[in-house]
Amino acid sequence: MSDEIRILLVDDEELVLRSMEKTLLRAGFDVETAGSASVGLALFKEALSSEAPFDIAILDLNMPGLDGADDANAGLELLSELRKIDAALPVVILTAFDEVARAKEAVVRGARAYFVKGREAGLVELVNDIIAG
Amino acid sequence: MPSDIYLAKRRAVLLQAAAKVGHSVTSILDPDRLLEQVVDIICDEFGFYYAGIFLIEGLGDEPSDFSSGLGSTKPKSAVLRAGRGEAGAAMIAEGYKLEVNGRSMIGAATGMGSAIIALDVGEEPVHFKNPHLPDTRSEMALPLMVGDADGGVRIIGALTVQSVEEAAFSDDDITALQAMADQVAIAINNARLYAQNRQLLARAERRTQLLAAAAEVGRETASILDLDELLSSMVDIICEAYGFYYAGVFLVDEAASGEAGCQWAVLRAGRGEAGAAMVAEGHKLEIGGHSMIGAAAGMQGALIALDVGEQPEHFKNPHLPDTRSEMALPLVVGGDLIGAVTVQSTEEAAFDDDDITSLQAMADHLAVAIRNAQLLQELETAHAELLRTKTYEAIATATLEAIHWIGNKALPISAGVERLTQDLGRLPRSEPGYLASMHEDLEMIADSAALIVSVQEHLIGPAREEQPRPAMVEDVVRDAAVAAVIPAEMISYTVAPDLPLVRADTTQLSRAFGYVLQNAVEAVEDADERHIAVEVAPVGDFVAVRIADTGPGIPEEDLDKIWAAFYTTKGVQHAGLGLSAALQVLKQLDGQIVAANVPDGGAVFEVLLPIHDDPLPDAALPSKKKILLIDDDDAWSRFAMAALKGAGNKVTRSADGRVDLKPFDLILMDGVLEHADSRAVLEQVVDESAGAKTLMVASGLRVEDAMQMIQLGAKDVVLKPYTAAALAEIVE
Repeated sequence: MSDEIRILLVDDEELVLRSMEKTLLRAGFDVETAGSASVGLALFKEALSSEAPFDIAILDLNMPGLDGADDANAGLELLSELRKIDAALPVVILTAFDEVARAKEAVVRGARAYFVKGREAGLVELVNDIIAG
Repeated sequence: MPSDIYLAKRRAVLLQAAAKVGHSVTSILDPDRLLEQVVDIICDEFGFYYAGIFLIEGLGDEPSDFSSGLGSTKPKSAVLRAGRGEAGAAMIAEGYKLEVNGRSMIGAATGMGSAIIALDVGEEPVHFKNPHLPDTRSEMALPLMVGDADGGVRIIGALTVQSVEEAAFSDDDITALQAMADQVAIAINNARLYAQNRQLLARAERRTQLLAAAAEVGRETASILDLDELLSSMVDIICEAYGFYYAGVFLVDEAASGEAGCQWAVLRAGRGEAGAAMVAEGHKLEIGGHSMIGAAAGMQGALIALDVGEQPEHFKNPHLPDTRSEMALPLVVGGDLIGAVTVQSTEEAAFDDDDITSLQAMADHLAVAIRNAQLLQELETAHAELLRTKTYEAIATATLEAIHWIGNKALPISAGVERLTQDLGRLPRSEPGYLASMHEDLEMIADSAALIVSVQEHLIGPAREEQPRPAMVEDVVRDAAVAAVIPAEMISYTVAPDLPLVRADTTQLSRAFGYVLQNAVEAVEDADERHIAVEVAPVGDFVAVRIADTGPGIPEEDLDKIWAAFYTTKGVQHAGLGLSAALQVLKQLDGQIVAANVPDGGAVFEVLLPIHDDPLPDAALPSKKKILLIDDDDAWSRFAMAALKGAGNKVTRSADGRVDLKPFDLILMDGVLEHADSRAVLEQVVDESAGAKTLMVASGLRVEDAMQMIQLGAKDVVLKPYTAAALAEIVE
């Protein structure tokens, strides 16, 4: 079992997924990606049961939801589900929704931070802070 | 002893006289004329010095008696209705009457229905010595009787004839006089019936007229759907249809009501100058109070005052001194009271109970017409609101999708450039030319990507999350200036007193002000005198915010172009998007922005925002709380303090939060402080374990700022409330 930090990255935009994955890999993290909320949840549960759980999750908001349909709240639902399974899991939202109301909702559901795509500078630094603290 | 011939002659004369009376009386239908003529004819023909006719009261020949009951328990009186000469006139003027069955000849005649004779009044026990008629020596009282519908006989009064001679009547006289009295009785009854019929006819005609007038009013008002027009023409329509001199319409006004249980009816239309004056004064009456309108509205029933002097509920209105009768009718639709109508006449007793039915019918028509007009008004307001909301939502949806797309596409570019730059650094330095070129390429890509993201930010703008709401524009512009880090000595404010609230999405508006102020700051950068003057004042249906700078001004040929996206005179680093974005925001807020040059030099931008004139909802502010406001002494903190204090809370203000925080139940902190750093202040507050009771308020909400404050430990970050209702919502 490696003691690398494991990050679960969930987003339905392929280019975003690949780009963020590359950046995080370079920063020394172990990264797994999923293109929808249901796949993300499945990966999370699988990792838990195989004793290589994820340390951090980075979630998009607008993607195919747990029921399969495209949903602007898919990421928030996934966030709640993950926090139910692991109440201490740090979750960061990375979304194109530039809305304070959604940001507050994410925090209410337990997110550590809310980044707007295009202004995501500082995300890697935050991940490092979370690991350190 | 009179001879037989004499007797026969006398009998003939009597019969002739009786016939003459009979003839005369049957042709006179006016009861009063009839009675006068009868007494004159009797005296003239029979040579008596006095004759009088008494009629029993309450048998239908007086005008309608409004006091209840012609009860048979009251003793009846026979009232003198005609009498010969001065004596007769005097007694009638006194209201002379005698009790039926009482101790007088008339009393006996009317009680028993038989003739009574006193041949020597000195002797007769029932003779009542009348001071007006001292010369009477003999008297006869004859009952006036008619047959009634059941075949019986009804006594309607009595006739008295008096002579100055003793024993002036003989048996013949009695017979003739009784026959004549019977005819007189019939004539009187006929005249009465005729009068009654005429009265009934007049009543029926009146009722028809009133119902026709009610229908006319109903017809004319049903077609007027504009509430104001309806109310103003209603009073004229009523007065013209009925011939009243004044009509007024009161409507229940919820807004004018104070504490629960106290409702007011406010005059909304009144006829003529008096009406206009009272409406202008805001004349209103308490429902259930001591006025006719108040009482009629309170019990939802009509009220009449026939002689306003008498009526306890009559409110003597100085504007309407000629009123003698008044009727107040409630306006009720579907069981709900919506107001009341007053109609007034210069005549006494101008209405009776019968009129209530037809006038109430009119009032019911009016109530329906008013209700329809009110509903239409509500519908129009709701429709306009819906349209505004729908438009806003449509724009919001379109922008959401655009923002989403751009954000997703831009991220890989900047991240990729970041990685490539790192990789470049790891390459061997043998090819410095290529390396330099690749670095430059990456820079260009990074800059372009940044510009694309800024298009998202500026041209399209962050998603709208709030509907336009009532806002204090002076507060929004001040916050924008502080957020743009404009030094206090560089900017001045002139704000008109009692500024009305504007309707705006304050997040968008603060962005727009930010762009304009940024533009002004850049304009004065190289100027000798660096100053920005902000003026806020109402102009018509708008509030105008003028931002003037002491810069070089805008070249005349560019005044139109500055609003175009990507137009910039400021060099390649500038996207030239700020003013274009500001214009877009103002358009979406139903406002305007224009630019001009000031004659003395410099440019001035004028932002116009629509005044919020919809009625504000009631606020249920809590009370008895200890609240700390961390804010400068500005328009918003003054408003919040007044509203919270007014609701019964203890409120303190501090510009930097350096006070003992423990005693407070709630801390409201302005996200923009002029003389302190709000982040630092919040950190201080959280250090003192007061974060959980601290609400940050901001005129514009941005994700990064809000997240930062919440993560620092504030309970929540919300939009600054500019009305008592909005304040109540966040303080809950």
